[in-house]
Amino acid sequence: MTGSATILMLERCMTYKADEEHPLLVLEDYRIGFKTERGLAKAVDGVSLSLKRGQTLGIVGESGSGKTVLNRGVIGLLSARNTVESGSAKFEGEELVGENRQTFWGTKMAMIFQDPMTSLNPVMKVGNQVMEPLRQHQKLSRSEAKKRVADIFTLVGIPEPIKRLDQYPHELSGGMRQRVMIAIALAIEPDLLIADEPTTSLDVTVQKYILDLLTRVQKEQGMSMVLITHDLGVARGRADEILVMYGGRVMEHASTEDLFKKMSHPYTSALFSSIPHLHHKKHTRLTPIPGTPPDIIEPPTGCRFAPRCTYAQERCLLESPPMTHQGNHRFACFFPIGSQQGQEALTRNQQRGHTASGLQIRKKTEAT
Amino acid sequence: MTTHEEEIDDVSLLGSSDETLAIGLEPKKKLGFGFWLSAFWVVLIALLAILAPILPIKDPSENYIVTETAENLRGDLVEKPVQPPYPLSGKHLLGTDKDARDMLSRTIFGARISLAVGFITAFLGLAIGGSLGMLAGYFKGWLDKIISALFLVSLSFPGLILAILVVSLLDRSLWTISITIGILAIAPVGRLARAQTITFAEREFVIAAETLGAKRSRIILREMLPNVLIPMATLSMLVVAIAIVAEGALAFLGLSVQKTATWGKLILTGSDMNSLESAPWIAFVPIAFLFFTVAALNYMSDRLRDYFDVREMYDL
Amino acid sequence: MITFAAMNILGDPLFNILGPVAGDVDNPESVKIIEEAKEQYYLDKSLPERYVRWAGDFVTGDFGVRFSATGQPPVTNLIKERFPRTLQLMIMAQLIAVGLAIPWAVTAASRANSKTDKTSTVTAFAFVSLPNFALAVILFYVFSIRLDWMPDVYTATDPFWGFTHDHRLIQTLLPALTLGLGGAAAYQRLLRTDLITTLQEDFILMARSKGVSRRKVLYKHALRPSLFSLITVLAINISYMIGGALVVETFFRIPGLGTAVVEAVLREDFPVVLAIVMIVAAAFMVFNYLADLLYGVIDPRVRSQEKESESSFNRLWKAQKNLEVDEKVNIQTIEASS
Repeated sequence: MTGSATILMLERCMTYKADEEHPLLVLEDYRIGFKTERGLAKAVDGVSLSLKRGQTLGIVGESGSGKTVLNRGVIGLLSARNTVESGSAKFEGEELVGENRQTFWGTKMAMIFQDPMTSLNPVMKVGNQVMEPLRQHQKLSRSEAKKRVADIFTLVGIPEPIKRLDQYPHELSGGMRQRVMIAIALAIEPDLLIADEPTTSLDVTVQKYILDLLTRVQKEQGMSMVLITHDLGVARGRADEILVMYGGRVMEHASTEDLFKKMSHPYTSALFSSIPHLHHKKHTRLTPIPGTPPDIIEPPTGCRFAPRCTYAQERCLLESPPMTHQGNHRFACFFPIGSQQGQEALTRNQQRGHTASGLQIRKKTEAT
Repeated sequence: MTTHEEEIDDVSLLGSSDETLAIGLEPKKKLGFGFWLSAFWVVLIALLAILAPILPIKDPSENYIVTETAENLRGDLVEKPVQPPYPLSGKHLLGTDKDARDMLSRTIFGARISLAVGFITAFLGLAIGGSLGMLAGYFKGWLDKIISALFLVSLSFPGLILAILVVSLLDRSLWTISITIGILAIAPVGRLARAQTITFAEREFVIAAETLGAKRSRIILREMLPNVLIPMATLSMLVVAIAIVAEGALAFLGLSVQKTATWGKLILTGSDMNSLESAPWIAFVPIAFLFFTVAALNYMSDRLRDYFDVREMYDL
Repeated sequence: MITFAAMNILGDPLFNILGPVAGDVDNPESVKIIEEAKEQYYLDKSLPERYVRWAGDFVTGDFGVRFSATGQPPVTNLIKERFPRTLQLMIMAQLIAVGLAIPWAVTAASRANSKTDKTSTVTAFAFVSLPNFALAVILFYVFSIRLDWMPDVYTATDPFWGFTHDHRLIQTLLPALTLGLGGAAAYQRLLRTDLITTLQEDFILMARSKGVSRRKVLYKHALRPSLFSLITVLAINISYMIGGALVVETFFRIPGLGTAVVEAVLREDFPVVLAIVMIVAAAFMVFNYLADLLYGVIDPRVRSQEKESESSFNRLWKAQKNLEVDEKVNIQTIEASS
């Protein structure tokens, strides 16, 4: 980052104010494909979204849904050789697609990875790893940086921060390591933080602490956050808006409240049913989603979720449903839950015992 | 600048995300053109070496001095010998050395010893090393400990020095040298054999044979030998290569087989200052042969290892 | 510790072979000399005692007086004189090897499977396949004869530091290069593989996402964890390099330990041979131990594990086992420097 680049960036910041009116991050028909022997793997197949400053967007989906690829693509960490990026992704008004994003890393964008053990360099002291972006981007001296890191450690709840500075990742517990990761993000004070399954590898009590911490930091710094998770429950508590992805596409997108009040896409509902809830009685059977994720190199025509959807009709197999907009709530389904068409579709399937794609339906549906 | 950066960016900076892992290219499992080319060379050299005496090439020890008409001191026209060495020409495809001996045939005859040492060594290493290794791996216990300790000691010591030592104490015949180098080869082969045996001893088909009451020797021969042989065959090619190099090194130091020239010796004779300056081919011809042979063997061993996926069998 | 014992056991048969033979070689004409020899070598005492006494002498640095036809100076002096030269050569060679290997491997690994990488792989392969004496001839031809960049002769009395042809620093450069190139190639192959594996790890991605430049990521983050196999191989390689140094010294006419051994062998001067061999064995042990230590310094994970007591033999054994994972490279390394 040279001096002139910094000046350019400052200029841009001044001319473009990301605020309530102008979103921080806008994606339009954003696509990412991987070149493979068998063809182009369309990991992200046309995602559009908009994220405002200070907002938290939860992206929910199974593994293979494209959520991780999406985020790595946006931040620019995917290998350029095998990837094909298209569409538009604007950060603070600036187009990212096709551009080198190194200037954003460690300054305006930060990412937290899923597994803190493998994401921290095992042979580097923890303190140094946090100090690195500080010294590089903010040009702090060694002692200044050290002090700052110690402060941040205290902020994220790491006891004995001075001592920890000189420790190695394997000397810390999983929860601590994740806190270190968050410390790295904090130190950068980014405008956008992408948290990729930040709590999946931690136990439940630590989970809560970490998520609370993230939310707190976010409020304090006015940072926008993208929270990626496969757990709808986690997203519910922390996100302002939730985006549901499947097979590289957006299935449903709404504010958290709306989503849970009026769940429209069968996939969202299926996701919701497949996790345990507090109000479940003991020994309530969970309903996993039958089937496997789609082949992203040669995806089926029609709706991606159709093969596994209990509502699927013939139309779903032939046509890909466009986005239906209901105010700020959008979903991609011909037969959404709660609608008349949806109800009819479900009944039809239940009566004949299977969906249009051959999925068997048991007459008795589990109450949730 | 972007292209340069993009190049370095390439190496799978993808992390271990599920989605990205699934997309990969299967490594090709063919032996490849290079393999067969190398094999061809090795076979060719071996054949040339074996058939050397009956090949239509010049005598390696004869001096093919050529004369030309020139004026002598008194002004008469006489036949005077042209000072060798002679460069590459139609008569001598690879030139001659200082004593006007044909390089091509010298090299081919040199191959006889060099290759002989190589193969004898490999054979010894395989036979003894392989057997010891298999015994150690199969029976384990104190037998294993002793054999492994022996291997370790042998491996830990720079072989060349030991070889020099032995060669100095005994005579310098083909057999002595081959056996010496061969003994040094026992440890690496043996260690591999042992590792393979241990892996396989735990596989089901061996246990099945044992439960059926098969005699131990039968198990070793029938069940394990075939499986152990493959990686050993791969390794043996390497052993041949190393043995040839070792013999070459000994010859270069002046310590190899006495009577006939080997490749190492040829290189040595060609490497003094005068020769190198005026007639570099004397040294480079044997160097080329040596290099191609060793490289071919190395390459073949490499490809075989990839093909049979030997690497994954190394876990103990 | 067990390694130490192993080495000594090795020394025993050596001594047994050489002891009596040394006795035979004695000049039979002079009884007095025989008597002296007998005393020096304790030939009149029993075998085990002979060995123990000899070992004791050895450790204290007294290698005995040589009895040879040419009446050369005592063994101790000879070794004192020649050892530093060999040492210089080997240190230079290793420095060159590692110094070349690291950038080479980093460049290749960062552009895996590209043209650059494929070329460098082929080159490395070539260097590994070419025996060092052949390489010596080639290098000598190119640099000394054709280009005359390097001096032709090594004069032991020349001063060391300096950059003309009359300084030993330059004189040792070409031989060191010969030894080093083979090692560099082997190291490069090993390092490249490890680097490629490391570069797939999440923390590399993490470092990049912090904005660390590519170059820094490669050298600061990726290199350190990848060095482990290399370090282990380095130590073991040093002992093999001794064999290689022998050849190189002979060719370039450097009067070092290598040439001393060869001369002694040709002269059937066994005390010298014995002494040098034992030095090599000792050096090897030292280097292995150093490698172990170095391993601990570089990988902090190992340091914590050292709390469990492991005999050094076991560690050596483990290191050997780790090497078995890339057996091929190990052997290549042997090849390259034998």
